[in-house]
Order: sequence, then C-alpha cells, then structure tokens
Amino acid sequence: MVRAKRQRQDIAETTLRSSSRKRAREEANEREESPPSKRRSSQPGANTLLTNSRSEYDFPSDDDTQAKATGQATPRRRGRPSVTSTPNAHGVGATPRGHKSKRLDAVTPSRTRGVANGETPRRLRNDRSARKKSARALIEKVVAGVSSDEEADEDIAREIYESSEDDDVGEDAANDHHSDENTELRPGEPATPSRKSRTKAKKGTRTRKKSPTPPRDLPPHELYFAQNRPGAAKTSNNTLASLKLLTHEEYFSLLRDYEDPHKSDIEFLDSIHVQSFPQWTFELSQGFSVCLYGYGSKRTLLHKFAKHVYDAISDHDSHRIVVVNGYVRANMSSLRDILSVIAGAIDPKHKLAAGGPPVMMDNLKSLLSAHDITITVVLNSIDAAPLRRPGFQPILAQLAAHPQIQFICSADTPDFTLLWDSSLRSSFSFVFHDCTTFSPFTTELEVVDDVHELLGRKARRVGGKEGVAYVLRSLTENARNLYRLLVGEVLVAMDDEADSSGENPGVEYRMIYNKAVEEFICSSEMAFRTLLKEWDFPSLKMLLFG
Amino acid sequence: MACLEGAEEAYEERQHRAAYIFDPSGDVGGTTRPAKRRRVSKRPNASETQGTKKASSFQYHLQGAESEQAMRLRQETFEKLWSVIDSRIHSILRQTNQSTLQEVTSFLQSAPNHTPEGKIPSAFIITGPNIASQDLLFEQLSGTLQHEAGAQVVRLRSGDASNLRAVLRKIIHVIISKDAADGDESDLTTSKDGRKFLNYDLEALHAHLKLLPRRNLVIIAFQDSEAFDSGVLSNLISLLSSWLGRIPFAFLFGVATSVELFEARLLKSTCQSLYGDQFDVEQTASIIDKIFKTAITHSEAPISFGPSLIGSLLERQREQVASIPDFINSLKYAYMCHFYANPLSFLAPDGRNSGALQSEHIEILRCLPSFRRAVETAVKNNDTIQAKQLFEDDSQLVRYLVTCLQKRRQWIIKLLRILRVFTISKTVTADFADLYMDASYHGLGLSRQYDQFFDSIKRMEPCDSEGYLSRVLDTMQEGDQTLGLDPWANESPETVALLSDILAGIKQLRSNAKDQGHILRSKYSGQSKILRTTVVAQKVQLSHDTAALTDHDKAYTSLIHRFLEHMETSMRVERAYSIPFNEVWLYDSKLPYKDVFIPRPRNVLERALSRPYDYLGCSCCRTSEGQITPTLPTTAILYRLYLETGSLINAADIWSAYYAVVGGDNEDGLDERTALILFYRSMAEMKAMGFVKQSRKKADHMAKLAWKGL
Repeated sequence: MVRAKRQRQDIAETTLRSSSRKRAREEANEREESPPSKRRSSQPGANTLLTNSRSEYDFPSDDDTQAKATGQATPRRRGRPSVTSTPNAHGVGATPRGHKSKRLDAVTPSRTRGVANGETPRRLRNDRSARKKSARALIEKVVAGVSSDEEADEDIAREIYESSEDDDVGEDAANDHHSDENTELRPGEPATPSRKSRTKAKKGTRTRKKSPTPPRDLPPHELYFAQNRPGAAKTSNNTLASLKLLTHEEYFSLLRDYEDPHKSDIEFLDSIHVQSFPQWTFELSQGFSVCLYGYGSKRTLLHKFAKHVYDAISDHDSHRIVVVNGYVRANMSSLRDILSVIAGAIDPKHKLAAGGPPVMMDNLKSLLSAHDITITVVLNSIDAAPLRRPGFQPILAQLAAHPQIQFICSADTPDFTLLWDSSLRSSFSFVFHDCTTFSPFTTELEVVDDVHELLGRKARRVGGKEGVAYVLRSLTENARNLYRLLVGEVLVAMDDEADSSGENPGVEYRMIYNKAVEEFICSSEMAFRTLLKEWDFPSLKMLLFG
Repeated sequence: MACLEGAEEAYEERQHRAAYIFDPSGDVGGTTRPAKRRRVSKRPNASETQGTKKASSFQYHLQGAESEQAMRLRQETFEKLWSVIDSRIHSILRQTNQSTLQEVTSFLQSAPNHTPEGKIPSAFIITGPNIASQDLLFEQLSGTLQHEAGAQVVRLRSGDASNLRAVLRKIIHVIISKDAADGDESDLTTSKDGRKFLNYDLEALHAHLKLLPRRNLVIIAFQDSEAFDSGVLSNLISLLSSWLGRIPFAFLFGVATSVELFEARLLKSTCQSLYGDQFDVEQTASIIDKIFKTAITHSEAPISFGPSLIGSLLERQREQVASIPDFINSLKYAYMCHFYANPLSFLAPDGRNSGALQSEHIEILRCLPSFRRAVETAVKNNDTIQAKQLFEDDSQLVRYLVTCLQKRRQWIIKLLRILRVFTISKTVTADFADLYMDASYHGLGLSRQYDQFFDSIKRMEPCDSEGYLSRVLDTMQEGDQTLGLDPWANESPETVALLSDILAGIKQLRSNAKDQGHILRSKYSGQSKILRTTVVAQKVQLSHDTAALTDHDKAYTSLIHRFLEHMETSMRVERAYSIPFNEVWLYDSKLPYKDVFIPRPRNVLERALSRPYDYLGCSCCRTSEGQITPTLPTTAILYRLYLETGSLINAADIWSAYYAVVGGDNEDGLDERTALILFYRSMAEMKAMGFVKQSRKKADHMAKLAWKGL
C-alpha cells in the first residue's frame, strides 16, 4: 500500500519537475492572450459542459474520470512550490494529503480544474492514479470490512475504476469481484478530493444539458496543441459492434424517403448562384477559367450552368459543351476518355491518335486549330481523387489554356489550390467564386463504401466498380464483347421471366453461341467455350444453364 | 411529370460517365427547365434572346431598364479599350526578352565553332523564380532559334521527364513529327533496310536528320531544369553527349536559382561534358514596372485605377511572387469589372458615346457624388444659374459631362508631366507607382514627399541645380514614350523661357564666381552657417555664424527662389476624386479582385460548416454561439463534434454523440436508421474533404486531419 503511494508520489513529482517550466511558460502565454480571470472563469464552465454532456450522451469515455482526475490533480499543482523546493519529498509522501486538501478548500474547484485542464500531458497519469486510488479504496473497504454511511463515494470509486477498466485489463481483474460484494466505504478515504469535483460535475449535468461546447476561447494553434498532446490518445473503447451497419440497399431506400428540412434554403442559395451565370459566361468568354469552390455539391449547379450556356448558344455546331465528371472512379484511361470525348465533340469522325495523354493533347490541339469551334468544358470536382494523380492537372491546364476552350470546374476540398504550382495556375488563369451550395454529394461519393473504408471494415462491395473495371481491362476485346452480350441477354431473360414466373431465368447456350458467332466474337465452339471460361462464376453459370 | 422523370433518369445515368457531350435537346425535361431559369433572369424573355443572338454576356443594368444600345456600347467599349492595352502589354513582353534572345541565338549559332571537342554547348538562362512567365520566353526562344539558326528545338518540361525512355521518346517524336506530314510518321521511324526503330532509339533521330539537307543543330530546352529528376537529367546528358558525333546537340537550361546550385545537382562527369554560358533575363520587377507604366498610368489609358486597387495589385506582386500573367489577368479583370458593372462606363474615355444616354442614366449622373460636389462649388462661387441649368436641362448636363470627361486627359497629362519632373530629382526615393498613387489620391502639394522635394531643390548646390534644370528642359523637349507623354516644350513656351533664363543665369553666376575664386552658394545650402570655435581662457566656445553672402550668392538665391516659385505654382493638380464624373473612368474596388484571385477556400468551408445560417439564411439554426441544434445540417453538427475531438476519433462515440443531438429524445427527432444514413453521408463528405482518414490504431477509429483556423 505504502509503496504504491510512494510510487505515485514519484511519478507526480517527476512530471511536476519536468513540466513545471513548460507550464510556467504556458501560463505566461495564456495571460498574454486573455485576461486570466475571464479565461479561468469561462473555461471551466465550458469544460463541465463538455464532460457532462458527453456522459449524458452515452459517451462513457474517460471524461468522467477526467473531471475527477483533474480535481485530484489540482492539489498537487497547488502544492507545487513546496514540493519543488524540497526535491527529496519522497518521504513525505503520506503526509501532504491534509495539506493538499486544505489548499483545495481555499480554492474554488472549478477554477483549479480549469487550470489543470489546460495542462494536458499529465492527464493520463492522473487518470491512472485516480483509478488506482479508487481501486485501492475498494480493496481497503473489502479488507477492513468497515461500513460507511457514504455510499456515494464508493460509487465514484467504482465508476472511475470501471470507466478506465478497459485500459489495462489484467492488472486489477482480481479485485473486481471484491468490489461487487461490498457496498460500504471507509470514511475519510483518499477519494475525498474527488467527492468535491463530483458534486460539481453533477450540478453541471443537471443545469446545462444540451450544450457540449468545447473551450471556445482557445486560439486555433492552442487548440491544435491541446488536441495533439503527446502520449497515447485517449479515446474510449466503444465500438460500433452493437450497431448494425448500413447496407447499400438500406441506405438508398432510406435516403429516398428522407427530406432535408433545409431544402427551401438550399434552393434559395442555389438561385443566388444562378444569378451570376451571365457573369461567369462573360469571364469564360474573356479567356478566364472559372473555379467554383465552397461546401456542398456543385454538380447540379454546373449542370444548370451548362443548360444556361446551351440555351444561349445560337449555333450548336460551332460551340459545344462537354461535361466531365472528375469524381468518376476510373483508371488512368479516364483522361483518355475525356480527351477523346472532346475530340468527338469537335469532329465526331475523328479518332485521336493512340499514345499517352500528352500525345493525345497535341493531337487535340491541332484538331482544335483546324476547326472553328468553341468548346465549353464543364468539369465536376477537379480535385477528386482520380484527377489528383500526377500528369492529370498539367493536361487539364493545357486544355484550359487553349483559347478555343472555355473551362469551368468545381472543387470540393478545402485544400484544392495545392494541386497547382504557379505555372499551372497561370495557365489555368482561374477566377474563383465562392459557391457554397449545401447540397449533398449524391453521385460524387460512394457513401457506404467510403464510410466502411473509413471504419476499417470490409470496404468495397463484391469487387466494386473498380474491381469490375480492373477485370474487364485485363481481358481481351473478344472476352469483353462476350460479356456484354451475355449480360444483355441475361437481363432480357430476367425481365421476361419476371413477368411470367418467379423461377430462375435462363439463357439458352446455343443462342448465345450463335449470337457470338454473328458478332465475330468467336469463330468456333471451342473458342467460345474458352472465352466463356473467363466468365466462370458460379452465379453466372446458374443463370446461364438454369 | 413522367417526362421530367425520364430526363432525370437520363441525367442520372450520365453522372457516372467520365465525360460526355452535353446536349439537353435529347432531354425530355428540356421544356420545363428554361421556364425556371427565366424567373431568375431579370429581363423579359424577348429581349434576352435578342441579346444572346450575338452571344453577349453583359447584363442589363438600371433594373433592366438599360437600353440594348447602351449595353452593347459598354461591351464594345470594353473590348476595344482592352485590346489596345493588351496589345501594348504584349509588345512590351516581347521586347523585354529581345536582348536575351539575341544573345542566346548568337551564342548557339557560333557554338559549334568554339565549343571544345566532345562538349555540348549549353546556354543557362537565369529566369528567376517566376516560372510562369518562362513559357513565353521559351516560346520566343524556340521560334527565333528555328527561324534564325535553322535549329530543331525541343522544349521539355519536368512533367515530360518521368524517366529516360520517356524523355527520349518525346525528343524523337517532337522532331520527327515536326517535319513529317500527317500520317507518314511511321515511315520515318523505319530504317532503310525496313527495320523499325524503337520509339526511344536515337538511331531513328539520326536517320531522320541524315535525310535533311543541312546539318541542323538539335536544341533541347529544359524549361524548368530544377524540377527535373537529377538522375534522369544526368543520364540524359551523358547519353546525348555520346551521340554528339552523329547528332549536333545543344542545350538550353532555364535556371531559376543559380548555375552553381544547378551544377551541384548533376554528376561531375556530366558537368564536364557541358560547355556553356550564362544569360540573364530581365527580372519580374522591372517588367511589372513597365507594364504598370503602359497599362495603368499611360496618358492614353482609358480608365484609371484608384490607389487601393493598385496598392493591392502591387502588394500581391511583391509579397506573393505572383507571376506576370497573373498581373495582366488582374488588370484585365479590373477592366472587366468596370465595364460589366458600371452602367456609365460606356462613356469612357471621352464621352463620345453620350448619344446613348437614357433618362435613367441622366438621373444617375445627377446623383453622382462628384457631380454634387461640383454643383456645390458652383453654388458657392455664386454660379447658381449654371448649377440650376445642370439640374434642369439635360442637354446642358450632357455637354458639361463631355467637357468634364475630355478634361480628364488634360488632367492625366498634367499629372504625368509633374510626376516626370518630380522623378528626375535624385532626392525622391519613392518609386513611380507610389508617387502616382499618392498624387492621384491626394492631389499634389500635400504630401510629405513634395515638401521634401522642394526642400531639396532649395538646398541644391549650383552644379546640381544646373544639372537638374537642364534635365527638366530635356524632358520637356523629349517627353516620355513609356508613359505616352509627347514633348510639351512647345505648349508652354513661357515655362521653357523661364527655366532657360534661370539656367543661363546660374551658369553665368558660376563662371563669374569661378573667376573670382569663390564658391557659389545659396542662402539655404549647407555651408551657409559656419560653426566657429574660439578658445577663450582654455575653454572652447562654439558660435554659429551666418556666413556673409556675396552678391553672387544673393543673385543665385533669388534665381532659386524664382525657380521654386514657378514649380510651386505649376506643380498643382487636383485629386482624381474631385474631378466631376470621375466615376465614369475611375475604378477603385479591390474586393472583387481579392475574392476572385486570392480565394480562401478553407475559410469559406469552415465558415459554411460552423455557421451554416450565414449561407442558408434560415432562422432555425441561428442560435447563441456554439450551441448545437438538431436542425443544423448533418455535416455541420458532425463538424462541431469533430472540432472538439483529439487527434484520434472514436467513430462509435461520435455517432452516439450525433445521435444524441438529433435522435428520438428530441421532439421530431430522427429514428436511428435515418440518423445513421445522414451520419454516413456526412462522414463520407468529411472524408472526401480531407478532414478524417482511416486509422489503424484502434478499431472503429479515425484520424483527425484538419484543425480549424490553421
């Protein structure tokens, strides 16, 4: 027992000594930034709010512990001058308690907590010590068997103990059942300081329920350091195991029924942006590219803009609009697609030269100069992941810099300007407009997949779009054609079958073969079978042969 | 409804395509959409379609009452005026590179003669940090070199050089395809015996060049040589130098830092195979200065910019190393804004178009603050009749307007002349741009610079003042082409007479004084007071003494006085803002410029998420600071929660916190699954915006990536 205490004291002191200077500096900083009185009085309030509302909201992390832990931590901090002045205070380990508590009384707990809260690296250790303390309280009570009138205290002790239980499982596992048996606690136990903070905390819970506010007055950099303090991040061990995760079907079906309460406001916002369409057109006509940024999907807005431009065009042969969806998760070939679509817009018969995108770009340029045509390129999400790969942006910049191309795009992330260096930026010659729309990203994101990936769950649905694209790309032209044929037939069959009966639909083998021969996909049945083997999925076979 | 759905479906389908040609005529919903659009456009439909016929993108002002003629005039005026400025700027840009071009060309032309055996002639062009304007330089370079030296030029950017093979392919491709007519490129890559070369085989290039009648230099220009991978570059150089016997290579390096640094990145052996010279390019600052003079302060510049806009333009140029194209674009944008948004702008520059004025325009003109001030001064000068006429008689007003606008040119010329005379003096330290801003904003005669200037003239030594006077006279006789100032000596013969009179007087006095062995000085020159030290009873006494002025000195002083008097009376000019109708030609708003060229996407995003009501304008979300209400957009709620977390976020906790906000406990709360889809959607958005990413530290945890306000 005693040894444990001493150890604790040691830890406290080492941390104290090591961090005292730093803390002094911190304090000085704090003082500079805001009048201390104000700061201290406001912060703890916020803090209690934070902790309590969290616990209220089923957020049983170590926040409760924190409240108490900080309460406990403070006396040590208060007692700092004496401790630091006597560096060999190990021996006094047992005594300072009375001292401490006295000091604590002299000070309003909220205040002290506020100070301790700003001082973060020790928190974890404090947690531990609080935990140990409570564990000890439980043990002592069992050993001594003395009854007490303060049940509440025992509750706290247990609460502290249990809340951080997950952190180190093995250590106190043996004590666990002891604590369950007993419901009393000895009076005047080490848990006293925490009693104080707890009552405060309770009060907070009662009064301010719904405002989980962070400490508002921290400047951004302080907040960064506060949230990135060294030491293991302390998050609870809750998992989403109890929650049934969404499937794609459920997501989409529920989403269809959901109506956004802000729908009218979003539409209003949209109408404001629509008013600046002529301005954008003017900017585009003057050789600038337009980039729309801000929160929310700008896809529908750009679609409307494309319509607007389309309606204003008198001669649709000399001015065409190409819409590019940057968010489409395809492979490198998508750049090729984009360029060839643009080439197709200029001259539908022209085929761009094969080769890398730079070659295609050169080809496209010469094609453009040969035709008297203006192309408006409407690019959704220029900063989407597929377009972030090296090589994409220079090509886009070349495209945008061409005098016959008008280039308007949207950007969704906050840091999209990092995509371009100054030479790219000047060849884009962007004008930027804040187009915050608040409309949800429906097509741009694959919500369920993204979230599951974020959570580290099995990310993609079977194969996913990318998987299919990958497989198809690795196959020969004929195999791909066969697949197209097959899927088409199966779909037709399924439609037919669905009308007539509920049985598994089937496609006739012979028919498929004949069609394949007709389309020059294969010449012999042998080849047909080989090709078909590529599509040797159990599910497909079942479909095929009934 | 059904047709609308059909259209929607078609649209939905295309959303997943990487690219497609937009053609809504295929949409069935095409008929319903334009009606919606018409509602927001300000003008009745008939005139809009008329307006769009010539693809006009200008809008009607005056609440739509602006006549089409006026609108067109605005647009035409803009196009006309800007094209003049634009061509002027471009000629400047071309000229600035001229000397570099010539040097480089002559170096490379003579290179084969004086380059030691086995070394590649290389020109290092020190471009400075401004890589954006390099393009023009290299374009010019390759043009001139091809033209004058008959060389084959390949321009390489670091993007082309991912590996050695790619660079070689590019080099070969560019040269061969340049000479080949379309289609027969394949012929050129096959050797005589029918063997096909690999596309990165320099043998192909060799074979191709052998077909050409002359032995052409092959110049390879590395535009941004610092950005090249040094390994690739070294390999390339050593490879090409081994081919030097068969193909005459030469290099151009665009170097942003210094040749030493560049050299340090290459292998020593590679460096040894280079033989080169260093060429400097005119630096950005001086080019900007030239552009500033031609485009903004030029006497023929049709509109003027106010000091706050110019100030922010130049500041950005100085502090953010923005490129020259950026500067030009900003200028252009300022022109665009002026003509797009100002209904009176079609009157610029000289009120020629005043025929198109409508009654609405007249009304605006009468409301202009500058006009009101002018009327007020007229009333103060007891010129009430004219003032009244201006208010009652439209034609009188228009006449007055035209005279005022025409006066502007005189004002500018006067301002520029004064500034020119000013800048001749060596004591004026401020640069031209600052002086211009100061003068156009304050008018002359107030600022400290001018006091300093006059003071310095007062104190001038005879030789200095003589030199200064003669320089002033020279300037008057020559004008200043960069500012578009014609010589103005003939316009003001009395000034010339006066100045030459003073000048002759000074010269005379000087020679007289010299004969008498006396140094001429004025009352104000530094030596006029003499400090005398007298030793009286071992104590040093200091006493000031005004040195006695000779008659020559007095005569000189009076000459200086005459000169000063003349300067002080002649060097006065009104400030731009006090000229009536300056609104027509003065543009000084830096807000659109800043918004459009210096975006702050992060702040915008953070604001949208932390205060959505700023954008949505809804009453439901506007609460006291920092409260999370369930009505907030989902991502905004999550963003608030997100701000409170540490660097590691427990997904389960943030979900339960979120659900506690929006969930069933509240009135009209959401059920769990609906809340969950919204949570999913917002989490996906947060991920896409780069706020969170997957963390493997703990199960169901995410890492936080962004902090607000940093």
